[in-house]
Formats: sequence, structure tokens, C-alpha cells
Amino acid sequence: MDFDALISGLDRHTLDGITRGSIYALVALGYTMVYGVMKLINFAHSEVFMVGTWTVLGVYTAIGATSGSGLAMVIGATLLALIAAMLASAGTALAVERIAYRPLRKKGAPALIFLITGIGCSMVLVEVFGQVLRVFFGRPFGRVTVNIPAVLETKTVFTIPGVDLAVSNTRILIIVGAIVMMLALDAFVNRSRLGRGVRAVAQDPDTASLMGVNQERVIMLVFVLGGAMAGVAALLYTVQYDITKFDIGFIIGLKAFTAAVLGGIGNLRGALVGGLFLGIVEVYASAVWDSSWTNVYAFVVLVVVLMFRPTGILGESLGKARA
Amino acid sequence: MIRSTKTWQAVALTAVAGLALSACGTTDTGGGSSGGGDEGGDCNFKIAAMGALSGPNASIVVPSVDGAQLALDQWDGGDCTVEMERFDTEGDPAKATPVATQIAGDESFIGVIGGAFSGETRATKTIYQDGGIPMISQSATATDLTQEDPVEVFHRLVPYDDYQGAAIAKYLTDEVGATKVFVIDNAEAYGEPLADRVEETLGDAMIQRDKTEVGQTDFAPTISKIESAQPDAIMYGGYIAEAAPLLKQIRDAGIDVPFIGGDGLYGADFGNAVGEAGEGAVVMCPCAPIDESSTFAADFEEAYGGAPGAYAAEGYDAMTVFLKGLEDGARDRAAMQEFVTGYTGDGLSKSIAFDENGDVPQDQVSYWAYKNTGGTLQPEVEVKPAE
Amino acid sequence: MSQILDAVRGLALGERWNHAPKVVRWAVMLLVIAFAFYLPYLNILPFAYIRTDLTASGSDWASVLFLIVVYMIVAVGLNVVIGLAGLLDLGYVGFYALGAYSVAIFGSTNSPVVQALQSRFGLSEDWAVPFAVCIPIAILVSLVAGVILGAPTLRLRGDYLAIVTLGFGEIIRITFRNLDGISNGAAGITGVPVPPGPETDGRAFFNTIDAERWYWLALAILILLIFLARRLEHSRVGRAWLAIREDEDAAAVMGVAGFKFKLWAFAIGATLGGLAGLLFGSKQQYVEPNAFMVNLSFLFVAMVVIGGSGNIFGALLGAFLLTYLPERFREFVDWRPFAFGVALVAVMILRPQGLVPSRRRAREFEDRRHEAEEAAADV
Repeated sequence: MDFDALISGLDRHTLDGITRGSIYALVALGYTMVYGVMKLINFAHSEVFMVGTWTVLGVYTAIGATSGSGLAMVIGATLLALIAAMLASAGTALAVERIAYRPLRKKGAPALIFLITGIGCSMVLVEVFGQVLRVFFGRPFGRVTVNIPAVLETKTVFTIPGVDLAVSNTRILIIVGAIVMMLALDAFVNRSRLGRGVRAVAQDPDTASLMGVNQERVIMLVFVLGGAMAGVAALLYTVQYDITKFDIGFIIGLKAFTAAVLGGIGNLRGALVGGLFLGIVEVYASAVWDSSWTNVYAFVVLVVVLMFRPTGILGESLGKARA
Repeated sequence: MIRSTKTWQAVALTAVAGLALSACGTTDTGGGSSGGGDEGGDCNFKIAAMGALSGPNASIVVPSVDGAQLALDQWDGGDCTVEMERFDTEGDPAKATPVATQIAGDESFIGVIGGAFSGETRATKTIYQDGGIPMISQSATATDLTQEDPVEVFHRLVPYDDYQGAAIAKYLTDEVGATKVFVIDNAEAYGEPLADRVEETLGDAMIQRDKTEVGQTDFAPTISKIESAQPDAIMYGGYIAEAAPLLKQIRDAGIDVPFIGGDGLYGADFGNAVGEAGEGAVVMCPCAPIDESSTFAADFEEAYGGAPGAYAAEGYDAMTVFLKGLEDGARDRAAMQEFVTGYTGDGLSKSIAFDENGDVPQDQVSYWAYKNTGGTLQPEVEVKPAE
Repeated sequence: MSQILDAVRGLALGERWNHAPKVVRWAVMLLVIAFAFYLPYLNILPFAYIRTDLTASGSDWASVLFLIVVYMIVAVGLNVVIGLAGLLDLGYVGFYALGAYSVAIFGSTNSPVVQALQSRFGLSEDWAVPFAVCIPIAILVSLVAGVILGAPTLRLRGDYLAIVTLGFGEIIRITFRNLDGISNGAAGITGVPVPPGPETDGRAFFNTIDAERWYWLALAILILLIFLARRLEHSRVGRAWLAIREDEDAAAVMGVAGFKFKLWAFAIGATLGGLAGLLFGSKQQYVEPNAFMVNLSFLFVAMVVIGGSGNIFGALLGAFLLTYLPERFREFVDWRPFAFGVALVAVMILRPQGLVPSRRRAREFEDRRHEAEEAAADV
């Protein structure tokens, strides 16, 4: 136990926690939006994220971006990878919805069945990158860890005076990127016409369809938006960690889902709060003890929070996101 | 109820028909052993390769099994027909025991290559012992396998963790000249004992120890511990999947001290996973560089489309020992067991012999530090751990 | 596919079964049980094609049968939690691990706890808690764990329960992995005791080679548990679960205390999970934390749901298929997980009510399907 290390490096640990939590939060948005509208845990969402990381690798390889490229190349490659990852992840999410969820919805199957098809889809997507694509195309696919070139090289941009905390360009990108995307999504859901439809269906699906909201379209929109956010998370993740692997989605997905519940599932701002909170708690606790207990910290915090606030920190409901 | 009477008549009829059918034949449950070794004196045998061929850990095992297959393909068997059967365990002891029971019960198997991991080996070695079938493991390094409750049939081509840990510590103090080493492990059955042994050997030369997890990608808490400890070298006991992001984050934080890992990082996959951040990282491996004149690397690449990965040479060697046994006239498990126990010869990875516990004698093992240069591991220096 | 199903339905087997004379029912049941016990020796074509050891890279048939039965016990237990009480438990592997680890920690001479007891009380190095005592310990530990987990969390709504239980399973595994002084950490514990028995051929009666003995033991326990679970389902507790599952508020109004009965379901499920773990650990004679990953919890849930949750025979069928098929088709090595995923999706889409749903569940499902169709027609 080393509480001194936590206290003396509090600023540093907080920044680390926010960085980690930003990615949790972005992935958590996908869980929370789908849950808000359909009351469904989309177990395949972790793999939607994983597909995004592979897309980033694909884009870099295709345009030949490597670390040490010129500024124009860095910006261009990163933007292109961002768009491609968002598209690929959104497309994957939509495909999962079409293949695994829509037929069940038409039959009015109970929630448990959606869970199993979600797990099935998750296995299929994992195996597509771990096995199927390897058989057809060989490396880099397969069950090994693959490096993604650090196109955006990590550099210290400025040092926060007083606490002497170095802040790097990648961290700024991750934190600012996550918060900007969240604000944009929040504004979209709260301000736009389509967003109003999403909130209406989340609040009361039957009344919403009486009011002329096309429920199917709202569901598709929710999967696309959640998927796109996972795509953003995928790019930010590769910027920070430089790797991908066929089963990389599992742990991120688990944590993001925990974050969504922690913040209040179905609540967009809850995903942000839950993600950041979870990231900070994990980093603090790992600084005091060590990282081999990380999942225990996460789940203990979850249980404690749920005991006092049974619907999460901010409470549920996408419909009342303004509250 | 007429209908129900008819039903039960039908049931009775089916039962009779079933009994009649049963006279039609029986299966041979010896495991499809048409090519078994029981056909009077000729030399038809099978060798089993058991390990994680699917699942997240397959990348550490598949190259060694491919290496064994390569040895078999290159072998001129003369009168002998030998096949290698791959048994997937996913590295899970629960899935390994049915496999082991099957292999032990099928007399056409004359040897086992594996278990690849220590856990599955622990769970299955007594089964193989009961079946009297010799095993040669290419990669199970847990100390207790041979030191605490050894079984006669178990042999391995890799030295156990205690020696490896000592070799890494020796490299750190003698070659790097480190006096403040930061030791990290992955809290798993491979990394933790290895790091324990490094810690023990280093003594005061270790300043701090931290534990991480398999599947972890964000190492920020560990990085900040490293920053405040100011080490002059970092040792990591674990696998490639976590070493890659760990290294990247260490270098991003501006920490430029040497990074040393155990043989869990050895293999062509290391360079692919770590990228530029891994330049100059050192991997300690109880394997001598493969002789320049050997065509192994080229042959392997031609057959499997990639440079030889983890333990490929050990897999090749394990198969070679069994094949030499067949050349020597071993025609059953007892003879093979006797041959393997007494075997001496040069292998790709080291010169091979087994002591009474089934370990390669210490003086036969050479530890080499490999430096990651331009994405491939280049032999740097040989290290002799003190006894 | 659907034609075959229709044909099967046309036979109206269930109805005929209910109308068959009692003697016939008993006779058929005994025959089925006798056949189950005979399975390891099943060697008659064409039936023997179900064996898993026919190809060169197959696995031992009796060992596979044992694993199937252990997972069937798990499915019976989880069916109580998911199928009867309607609680989504994604951390069932935690109880399974507790059962296996209990017998290892107290019964193995290699366990740190036993060694500590030896030196504390000056006992001999061969001393360990006898196997017979380990059984109640394992059952008690999993039961208590079920209550401890259930008490604070069962008040949560369904989906929250899912993630909390999932976390519980992870906490158990990580704790066993990290506590070197109790569970020997990541290396696991060897020398897990086996049930006592007469020595045959110089080996213990329950050994690692003669897997069929383990299979028979597990099968006997399974049959007993099925019998008990059936009785439970039709008891007052079983009816209370049904009421809670269908409408918790209505049940509460009628005086059915939701929390109490949910806790019952959780505790009973936990006990069965622990029992299955005990059998597994003992047969394996070795436990290690990586044998209890989260994925196993998902597999368990999939067994119950694929078979048809709520119906004990559905759960048994699910456990059989999901354990047996990957072993039977070992020759497809690393294509199996892919096929498994595809099969999960396909089966659930074609038969969302499960392969053999309980009659009540099937009716509930029909109702909902009509509602869904009507709703679709409205739009």
C-alpha cells in the first residue's frame, strides 16, 4: 500500500485516469444509447470497437503513413483513419442490428435471447479477425498482437506550471476528442429533429410511434451513432496504445459497459461521468496497490455505487437527458 | 385409446429394430487406428502435439507445432510411416485432460510433444505417466513440473523459470550494469515466478516491483511508478500482447532505460507487435542462435509463410528426438521412453540431453540475449548464470 | 428445418407421454437412465458415431461424457436462477470456481491453507481435510457466497444484476489468482483429493485414466438433482418464482415476497454450481484460476437459453450440445469458435424460444410474438 505515491502524484494520476476514462466513455455511449432505446445490452458492441482499430491499421497501411511522416501526412492520415473507423464501426453495428437483433424484434423475443445472439455475433466478429481473414489473407490477421504505426508521434506540448505536469499531444487529442464528440452527440440528441425522435422512443415507444416516429429508423440511427462513437474511440485508442489484436474489444467492452451502468445506463451524460469516474478510480487504486486487481477495483466501485444509487450516478433515461 | 396403443407398438418395434441393427457391426474406438502400430512389427506410428492451437494464446504455441511438423516432413523415414496429430487444448487444463486420456489410451501414439503450457502439463502428466508415453515439452517452464513432483515420462527442452530468472538477473547486473532495476510481471503462472526469481537474484539491485494483468493495455499507473523510481533498467515477465503497449508507453513517457523480457517475448511476432518503440529491447532466451548454415529459418518461412515464431526450433528438436528414436529401433512406448531418457545429440536450439528429472542439464543450456533491431531479434551476447 | 420440427410436433410426444400408463413411463425412464450409464461403452454402429474418439485427433469419450454431465449440473442450477426465477446471472462461473477451489484448498496437501494448518497444529505432512468433509465445506461456501452476493444485489433491476454478477465472477477468479497464501496464486493447486474408493489395478478407484467411473458418479448425482429440481419447480417455491418472473409487482400484491424467493433461487443455484465445480476440480485433480474465465459464464447462460430456459430438459439438451459438438468436431480445430458463434446466432433466430421450451414459456412467447406482429401491422 502506497498512499504517498497517490497523493504526491495526484495530478499525474488524475490525468492518466481521465485519458483512460475518455476511451471507456466513448465506447460506453454505444451501450447506453442502445439500452436507452431498446432496453437491450448489445454484447457485440465491444467488437464494433475492435473493427474500428483494424480499420485504422488498414488506412495507415493503404496510404503508407508511418511515424515520422510530414505534418500534412499526419493530419491527413489521422483524419482519414478517423472517418474510415467511424464508418466501419457504424457499419458493423448496423450489420449486427440487422442480422442478430431485427429478426428477433419482429418475433417479439425476450431480452435474454438478444443477449445470446449478441454474444454469438461477438464471437463471430472476433473469429473473423482471428481466423477467417488470416486464412484468406495471412498476416497481419490472426491471433497475434499487431503494431499500428505511431503516425502521430507523442510529444510534450506544454507543462502545467506549478504542478510540473507534462501534457502530451496524444493526451490532448484523446481528452479533447472525446469531450467534443460527446458534446456533439449530446447536442444532436437534444436539439435536432432526429434526436427528438430518439428521445421520444426512449421515453415511450408506443406513444412515439403513434406520433409518427419511425421506430425502426430510430433504432438504426442509435446503432449507427453508437458505432461511430466506438470508431472515434478506436482511433484514439490506437493513437495512445499503438496496437490491435483480434480479442482486444473484450476488456474495453466490459469496462465501458460497467462505466455506462455506473453513470446511469441510458443516459448520455452518465456515460461520460461513469467513464471518467471509472478510469480515475482504476488508476488511483492501481497507484496505491497494483494493476493485477484492476477489475476488482472496477466492480467493487460499481457495487458500492449501485447500493447507494440503484440507477447509477446520474440515473437512467435517455429521454430526460437534459435533467 | 387406440392411438396410444399403436404408439407403444411402434416403440417396441423400433427397439427390436435397434437390437437387430446392433448386430451389424461395432466401431474401433482405438481412435481410428487403422494406421496403428499393432500391425506386426512394421513401423507405423503417430506422434501427438498437444497445446493451445486456437484461442488467444495460440500464437505462442502454433509455431512450435509447425516446427515439429517441419522436422517430420524433412525426415526420410525409410520403412517408417509417422504422422503427427494436432490436439487443441486452448491451453485449458479442463480441455487437455480428455485429450491426454485419449492419447494415452491409443497405443499407436509413441510420443507426445507438449504440453505447451505449464498448467495443462501439470494437469496431464500423470495421465501420460500412467500410459507410459514419453513427453517432450517445447515450452512448459514452470519449476515444479520437474522439481517438486517429477514423473518419468516428462522431458522438456527449456530450462525452468528459476534458471531463466537467474540468467536475466545476471544479464542485468553484468551486461547492462544496472543497479536499480524495476521489475514488472503479468500476475500469471509464467510471468510471476520468473519475476520472483529475478527479484531474488538481484537482491538490492531491484528498486521496485509492480504487477500488471494479462489483457491490460493501459499501463499508466505502472509508468508513473517507474518515473518516480528512476530505474536504470526495466524487466518484464510476461507475453508479447502486453509487452507491446507497455513498451510504447514507457518510451512515450521519455524513459529510455534498457528493457529486458523473458522468453515469453521471444519469436518473430515480437518485432511485429512492438514496432518502433521496441527498438533496442532485449529478449532473453534459453536458445542459442540457429547456426548460419542451417536452412531452418528459410524452410520454415517457405512452409508456413512467416519467420519461425516462438519455440519453433524447440518444436523441431522435440520431433527430431522422437524420430531418432524410431531410427534407433524403438518400436513401443517403453523403448521410446528409454531412448529419450538416454538421448544425447545436437539440436537446433541447444545440444540436447535429459537429466534424471527430465530437464536439460544446466551446462547444455546457453542463454542468449537477443536485441530487437529493425524489427527482428538479433543475438547480442551469451549469458552464463551462476549456479 | 421447420418441416422436421413440424413432423416432430405432429407426433405430439409430450401429450402422449402424459397419457401413457405409469408403468410404461417408469420403464422408459429406467431404460433411458440405463442407456446413459451404458454410454461410455457404446460401440455399436451406427450409434457409435456419436463417440468423440473416432478420429485420430479425437478426445476420450468417457472424459467428454463426464464434462457434459458436469455442465449439465451447472445448467440445472443456472436454470433455477435464469429459467425459473428469471434472474440474469452472468457470473455463475464464480460459484463453480468456489466449489472447485474449496475442495482444493482444504483437501489438497499442496494447498497453503492445509500446510499452514499442519504446521500450526503439528499434524503430519500427509494430513488434509478428508474428502467427505470437503463436500459440505464446498456446498456451504458456495451457498454463503450466493447469499452474500444476492442480499445486496437482488434488489437491483434485471440488467444491473447482470453486470454485478459478471463482476462477482471476475472478482472470485482474480482473488484466487492473486492470493498466493491461500490459493497458491496463478500456479493453482495440484493434488486435489478424489472420492475414496477401493484400489483397483494398483490405482485409486477414481483416477485420471478410468474416466467412466467419474462419469457414472457425476451421472448419479445429476439424476438425483434433476429429480429434486423437478420437485422444487412444482412446489410452493417454484410457483412463487413463476409469479415473480411473470410480474413481480402483481406477485408482491398477492403476498409473494419477491426478495426472499429470489434469494432462495440464487442460493440454490449457487449450491449446484459449487457442486459441479467440486466434481470438476476433483476429477481434474488440479485447479488454476484461468479455468474460470468470464467466457465460461457466457457459455453457461447460452446452454440454458439455447435449450429453452425454464425447462430443465431444455437446459440439459443445451448443455449437451454446447459441450459435445465442439468435442465431436475437433478436426475443425480453430474453426470451431467461429462455427460456434454462427450457430448461436442462427439457432436463436430460427428458434427464439429455445430448442425445447417449457410449455408455459412457449405460450408466453406466442403471445408476445402476436403483440409484436400487431404492433408492426399498426405502423
